[in-house]
Amino acid sequence: MTDQVPTIVVVDDSATSISLYQFSVEPLAVNFIGFKSPAEAFPYLQEHQPELLFLDIIMPGMDGLTFLRRLRALPHQKDTPVIMVTSKDYAQDRYIAKQLGALDFVIKPLRFKEIRDLVCKHTNIKQPEQNSEQNSKP
Amino acid sequence: MSSDTLNYLRFWGVRGSYPAPFGSHLRVGGNTSCVELRVDNHILICDGGTGIIPLGNSLMAQKEIKEVTIILTHYHWDHISGLPFFVPAFVPGWKVNIFGPGDTMEEIERRISGQMMDPYFPVEVETWLADIHYLMANNSRLDYGPFSIDMFNVHHPGSTFGYRIQVHGKTIVYASDNELSFIDKTIEDRKGELDSQEWQLINAMQQEERSKALESIENAHVFVHDAQYTPEDYSKKRGWGHSCFIDTVNFAADAGVKQLYLFHVDPNYNDMKIEDLHRASVKIVHQRDSSMECHIAREGLIVDIDKL
Repeated sequence: MTDQVPTIVVVDDSATSISLYQFSVEPLAVNFIGFKSPAEAFPYLQEHQPELLFLDIIMPGMDGLTFLRRLRALPHQKDTPVIMVTSKDYAQDRYIAKQLGALDFVIKPLRFKEIRDLVCKHTNIKQPEQNSEQNSKP
Repeated sequence: MSSDTLNYLRFWGVRGSYPAPFGSHLRVGGNTSCVELRVDNHILICDGGTGIIPLGNSLMAQKEIKEVTIILTHYHWDHISGLPFFVPAFVPGWKVNIFGPGDTMEEIERRISGQMMDPYFPVEVETWLADIHYLMANNSRLDYGPFSIDMFNVHHPGSTFGYRIQVHGKTIVYASDNELSFIDKTIEDRKGELDSQEWQLINAMQQEERSKALESIENAHVFVHDAQYTPEDYSKKRGWGHSCFIDTVNFAADAGVKQLYLFHVDPNYNDMKIEDLHRASVKIVHQRDSSMECHIAREGLIVDIDKL
């Protein structure tokens, strides 16, 4: 049986940051998987292609850009939609991310709604019903 | 067993960005990043800025050691521009091991050789007649002679490492280019937009990021760190990948560092200005009631590793 629910993967060494994503996507019909390091994420990504991957840059062991380069070498990850989310706001990092096919490059911190907007923008899922002021679009 | 050989750290290049060979700058020094660690006749060199040129010349004047390992933080010019003039690399009989950010040995070689080719330089790396080895780390760790070297990623454009080096029971941390407190300032900028739940999580994330950054340098005997800017210059150059010296001093004191060396200083700052920054740094240490020693990393300065 095929699971039709999109899978969103986050690789970020901050447990709190992973929680932030998790809270943000809770109202959406998605599977959410968080990994705290590239080393933890790599075996999973060798086997699975998520619908969207959020990637931090400064992490222990391997930085997010090196990890993305390694990921792109896997045939099934060549076109995986990737968003870099980082506190490294440098033109050189933006350039490298673009060369590696990242869709977006956003700077921490992100609000719940900003994460949801990115997920909806880059997958086919719809925004949840607007039931709070925080969720309402401007 | 006692030895009469001095085990030391020596600063050969302390400037950031570009060389500053001006008369007004020479008490601190004008060469770009290069620090030598010599322990038990093993030589580990942090970065290959122009400071590696006089280091190479001094190595040619001795006969005892014929091997060095160079660890590069990254490939910006001020960290590699001395390599084309590093004489031991051109001499048969020498062994030069080189490590830096990169996925493969070929990638490290490509990044090094990129600056030694037409039309930028008259000879290519093929003229390096020494035995050149490009190294790969094993689980972010490299071992060379008495040195155990762990690398960590820092806030600077592109892939850039800091190094935590253990030798003879001492810890030396070298982070030449690192923009501290960047996330703090980004969060501060957005504080007013966040609701209470977001603020709680983002505040916790900020604490977590800071704890992790502190772990890499915790209790270092020697901490060599980016102190490029005054607060005024940092406010104009935020996001350039370098630290304000005040952030560096506070960060080092928070981490329980024993000796801090203000490094990668701005090439526009003359000796008097850097000595002013040093005085201000010592004042911060005093106000914090910290026992940390704070020094200017001056070209030629030697630190006795066994006396740390």
